[in-house]
Amino acid sequence: MLMCRDLARIASDYIDDELGTGQKLSVKMHLMMCKDCRSFIGNLRASTDLIRAHSSGKQDPELVRRIDEQVAQALSAKKKN
Amino acid sequence: METATHQSNEDILIQGLKSGNEAAFQKAVRLYTPGMMAVARYYLDNASAEETVQDCWVTVIDAIQKFEGRSGLKTWLHRIVANRAKNHLRKNKREVSADFSESLDPELANRFRPNGRWATPPTLRFDEDAESLMENGALSDCLDQHLARLPETQRSALMLYEAHQHKSDDVCNILDVSASNLRVLLHRARQKIFLMVETFQETGEC
Repeated sequence: MLMCRDLARIASDYIDDELGTGQKLSVKMHLMMCKDCRSFIGNLRASTDLIRAHSSGKQDPELVRRIDEQVAQALSAKKKN
Repeated sequence: METATHQSNEDILIQGLKSGNEAAFQKAVRLYTPGMMAVARYYLDNASAEETVQDCWVTVIDAIQKFEGRSGLKTWLHRIVANRAKNHLRKNKREVSADFSESLDPELANRFRPNGRWATPPTLRFDEDAESLMENGALSDCLDQHLARLPETQRSALMLYEAHQHKSDDVCNILDVSASNLRVLLHRARQKIFLMVETFQETGEC
């Protein structure tokens, strides 16, 4: 039988729908009976949403400035040729 | 409809890049550099990663002429970065080291009884959606700190999969990692973020 610790090991696979049919069914059965694991799955899913909402566009302005400069130089060198 | 608009925006950008338009490059650099850094950091330290990404952009000026749009622009750029980063590793005779042996975070593993049931179950309650939670500046800063503390391999996998929304196959391809090992990286990273948010909500401290 699937225990809470086993479920915690494969929780991301469940969230991303990467489990086989049998395992998925075991997880669902377990979740029906276990409030703590329902809470864990909900929390892991929410944490994942947080990451998605948080960090897609983190910018290092100094790096971007250096790249702009190099690209501009390379572009103008190309035009001269 | 949204996909169609997105597609044509990308097409316009690609045309701009192909014609060597500086403004198009500036736009693309802002749009794609964070993801390219996530790829490069999987393989390299921060300084070498920055150098690699800079070089890539210069390469793109010529290489974009051969871009046929079989993959999206993002995936194409990420593959260029990955190849360059791998070459850099090879030249320096280094390898990526990552631990794929255990999918359960040690801190979380301690929260179970010997019989496998929860001893310290999760306490988190999410009453708000992710966007409104992120308006909490302190939580956002805390998330930054914890993301920075993750092993590079876990952070890059997480960023490419979640933040840059690559499919698993693409991430495996770009990071040269098997599907099952990618699962371990993602799960380990998510558990760390879960533990961080739990502490933050319980104590108000990072």
